[in-house]
Amino acid sequence: MGKFIIRRLAQAVLVIVAAMLLLFVALFTIGDPFASSGDKVVPPETQAALRAKFGLDRPLPMQFLVYLRNLFTGDLGIDFDQRREVSEMLAQAVPYTIRLAAVAIVIDILIGITAGVIAAVWRYSVWDVLVTILTTLAIGVPTFVIGLSLRATVSGEWFFPAVPRSAFGPEPFWLAEVLLPAITLAVVDAAFIARLMRGSMLEIMRADYVRTARAKGLSERKVIGKHVMRNSVIPVVTYVGIGIGVLLGGALITETIFQYQGVGFLLYKAILSNNNPIIMAVSAFAVITFVTLSLVVDVLYAYLDPRIRLS
Amino acid sequence: MSRKQAVWFRAAVCVTVAGLALAGCAKKENTGTGGSTQPTQTAGWPETPEVQIQDGKPGGTFRLAITEPTAIDPYNAQESEGILVAEAIFTGLIRVEPDGSVKPGVAEKWEPNDDCSQWTFTLKKGTKFHNGEEVNAESFKRGWTRAAVKSAASEVAYHLEPIDGYAALQGGTATDFAGVDATDPGTLKVKLSSPDCEFFLRTNHPVYSPVPSNAGAADNKTFNDMPVGNGPFKMAGPWEHDKGIKLLRFDDYGVDKKAYLDTVEITIAPNGAKDELDGFKNGTFDWARMPTPQLSDSRNTYEPQGKWIRKSTNGMNYLLPMGTQKPLDSAKARKAVSMAIDRNTIIEGVFKGSQVPSTTLLPPVFKDAYQAGVCTACNFNLDEAKKLANEAGLTPGTELNMQFNVDAGHEEWMAAIKQQLEQNLGLKITMTGVQFTDLLNNEQQPGATGLFRAAWGADYPTPGNYLSPLLSTDAIGAGPTEPTKGDNRGRYSNKAFDDLLVKARASKDQAERTKLYQEAEKLAIGEDLALIPLWNRIQMRLAATDKFINLRMNFNEHPDLPLISVK
Repeated sequence: MGKFIIRRLAQAVLVIVAAMLLLFVALFTIGDPFASSGDKVVPPETQAALRAKFGLDRPLPMQFLVYLRNLFTGDLGIDFDQRREVSEMLAQAVPYTIRLAAVAIVIDILIGITAGVIAAVWRYSVWDVLVTILTTLAIGVPTFVIGLSLRATVSGEWFFPAVPRSAFGPEPFWLAEVLLPAITLAVVDAAFIARLMRGSMLEIMRADYVRTARAKGLSERKVIGKHVMRNSVIPVVTYVGIGIGVLLGGALITETIFQYQGVGFLLYKAILSNNNPIIMAVSAFAVITFVTLSLVVDVLYAYLDPRIRLS
Repeated sequence: MSRKQAVWFRAAVCVTVAGLALAGCAKKENTGTGGSTQPTQTAGWPETPEVQIQDGKPGGTFRLAITEPTAIDPYNAQESEGILVAEAIFTGLIRVEPDGSVKPGVAEKWEPNDDCSQWTFTLKKGTKFHNGEEVNAESFKRGWTRAAVKSAASEVAYHLEPIDGYAALQGGTATDFAGVDATDPGTLKVKLSSPDCEFFLRTNHPVYSPVPSNAGAADNKTFNDMPVGNGPFKMAGPWEHDKGIKLLRFDDYGVDKKAYLDTVEITIAPNGAKDELDGFKNGTFDWARMPTPQLSDSRNTYEPQGKWIRKSTNGMNYLLPMGTQKPLDSAKARKAVSMAIDRNTIIEGVFKGSQVPSTTLLPPVFKDAYQAGVCTACNFNLDEAKKLANEAGLTPGTELNMQFNVDAGHEEWMAAIKQQLEQNLGLKITMTGVQFTDLLNNEQQPGATGLFRAAWGADYPTPGNYLSPLLSTDAIGAGPTEPTKGDNRGRYSNKAFDDLLVKARASKDQAERTKLYQEAEKLAIGEDLALIPLWNRIQMRLAATDKFINLRMNFNEHPDLPLISVK
C-alpha cells in the first residue's frame, strides 16, 4: 500500500508538470494579455512596460522554467490585473469552494443513493417511474437555468441570503449562503448517482451470491443493506470521486450567479481578462486535487471490494 | 467565421429581418424624405430633464454596486469602476461638470504662457488630505512622478505624456519629473514637450491626482487598497476585494462645499448591470444600470415613478470606413453607404427606442461645439444613395467587408445594417464577427477594407479629443504599408483638417477653439465623411429619487456623489 501511494505521488508530479506545460503554451502563445482590447489603442510603450513588469519579455521556455520553479516553491506570482499575490487570492477562495463542494456532495449522495435504492428495490413501481422522470429532467435542464431560477425565486426568502446583497449588511451564516449554489450543483449529480445506483443494484441483485444470501434465509433488509448496496456503491464512488474533483476545480457559472467567492468565480474573472497567472494557479490547484482524489478513490476500492489488491 | 458563430448569426439575421419588416411597415410614410437637416430627435426615447440642484442636509447612506475594479489608486485607476472610486477620494487641479464645462479644483486659477508650452497652476491654500497633511505643489509632483516612473508600469501613465521629462521617467533614466516645478508650494509650474492650449483639461484624469508624502511607490499595497486622498470622501477602511468599498464624508474638504452623505456603500457584485438592477428592485441599491434587454421594462416601471435617468453622454457610435482602400476610398461611396442606412428603423426595430440616431461626430454633450446635422449624409435617402453609389462605382454586386466584435450585443444591429445595404444598394457583404483584439488588429493592417464597428469617448472634455486622435494625420502613426499605431485606423488624412486642429490647439481662446473644431468637423464629417456616425452614446440609470435629491450623472456617467443628499 505504501509503495503504491508513493508511486502514484511520483506520477502526480509528472501529471502536474505536463498539465502546466500544456496550459502555459496554450495561454501564452495564443493571444497577448496586454494587446489592446477596447475602442482605444494601448500605446506600444505601455504594452512593452507591462510585458517587462510581468516577465513576459523573456523567451517562452525560460518563462516556463521560472514558473515551474516558483510553483514548486509555493510562489504563484502576482496577477496581471490588480497585481496582488495569486497565492493569497487562491487561499481566500479555496475554503469557500471546499464548503460548496462538500455540501453539494452530501446532498448528491443522500438524494442520489436513496432515490437509486428505492427505484431498484421497487422496480417498475410508481416510485421507480417518478425517479426516471425526475432524473431525466434534472440531467436535461442546464445548470445555469436551475441557478438563475433559484436566484430569481427563493434567494432573499426564508433564511436564504438575497442575491445581490449589500456587502455591508450582516454576514449570512455560511450554510445559508452555500445552500442554494450547492443545490444547483447537486441536481445533476444526484440524478446521475440515482441512475448509476439503480442500474448497479439491479445487476447485483441478480448475482449468485445474492441468491445464496436469500437462500440462507437472511432478511431482505440484510440482503439489500449488506450484500447488494455495499457492492453496488463502487461505480458511485468513482463518480463521486470525479465529481468532487470537478467541484473543487471551481463551479464557474454557479458561483458567479450566486455572488459566491469561490475558486470558480476567481477563474471566471481571470478568463474574462486574460489573467494568466490566476488561470494557471487555479488549474494547478484543480490538477492537484484531482490527482489526490483519484488516489483516494483507488484506496477506497480496495476497502469496498476485498478482491481488489493495491500492489 | 466558425460554425457556431455562423449559426448564431443566421438566427440574429432572421430575428432582425422579422423585426425590421414590422417596424418598416409601421413607419413607411416617414422614409425617403432625407436631405434636410433635422436638429430635433427623430427616433428613440427622450432624455430626462436636467436635475435642479438644491441644498441638502448632512446624513444618510447611499448604496450602489460596481464590479471589482482593477485599481482605485490613481496611479492605475482606469476603467469606469476604478474611476468612480478614485474621483470620490481624490480631487485634482480642475473638476468637470456633467456638460463638460470646467470648474476649479485644487487649482483656483491656471494660466499658460504665450505659446502654451508652460502652464502655471495657482493652488488653493490650506486644502488637506484625509490624514491632515496639506495639499501643495509637491503633492501633485509626487503623484505624477509616482505614476510615470518605469517601475510603476502604469496602464494610464500615458496621459502624462505631454509633460517634459515623461520619456526619461518611462525609459528608466530619471526618477525626477523634469518638466514639473514645485519649488513654490502654492504654485505648480508645468513645462510641456510640445505646446498645447488645452493641456489643463487633461488634468481631469485621476492619474493627475495629488498624493500625500506617505503614499510610497506604486506597488505600496497599503496605499493601493486604502488610498489617502484629498477628495470629498475618504476610505472607511481598506478595500475588501470582491466584497465592498466603504466611503465616509471628509469633513475638512477645502476645495468646495463638503458632501452631504455620511456614507457611501459600494458593494462589489460580480454580474454587473444584472446585479445592479436586481438589487435596485429589491431595495439593496439606490442607483443602477440595466442590462440592455431589460431597458424597456425598467423604463415602463420606473419612468412614471420619476426614478429613470436618461442622458446623452460623452461618446459616439459609428462605422469606421477604410477610406484609403476600395470600395470606400471616395467621399461619395461613404456617403452612399451612410444614406442607405435607415437609422431610425434600426433604432425602433432592433433597439426598441433605446438609442438615438446621430448626425455628428461630436456628441451633444459638448453644447457649444455640437452642430446637429453636420453630417448631411446621416439621413436616410435612398434615391440620393443610389445616385452617389453609381457615381462612386459602388455598383450592385460590389463586395464589401463588415466586421464587429462578438459577445458585446452588436450582432443584431450589424446584421440589420448588412441587410439594408444589400437590399438598398445591392452590395455583396461579407460580415465577420471576431474577438475585440482581432478587430483592432484587423483594422490596423495596411490592406484592411470595408466597414468596422467602432465607438469613442473622450478622455478629456474637449472636442479635440475626438477629432485629433480619430482623424488627424499624426494619429495614423505609420506609413501606408505599415499597420497603424494610433487611433486613426481609417487613415483619414487631410491637410486643411490638420491645420485647423493645429490652430485650435494653439489658440488660448475657448470660443475660438470651439469655432475651429466646428470647422474641422464640417470638413471631416460633413464633406469627407471620414467616419459614419450611427447613434449618440446615451446612458440610462435608475435612481432612488424617493429617498435622495440631486441624483444626476456626472461627466464620467457616475452618480455625482458630493451633491447627493437625503430628502
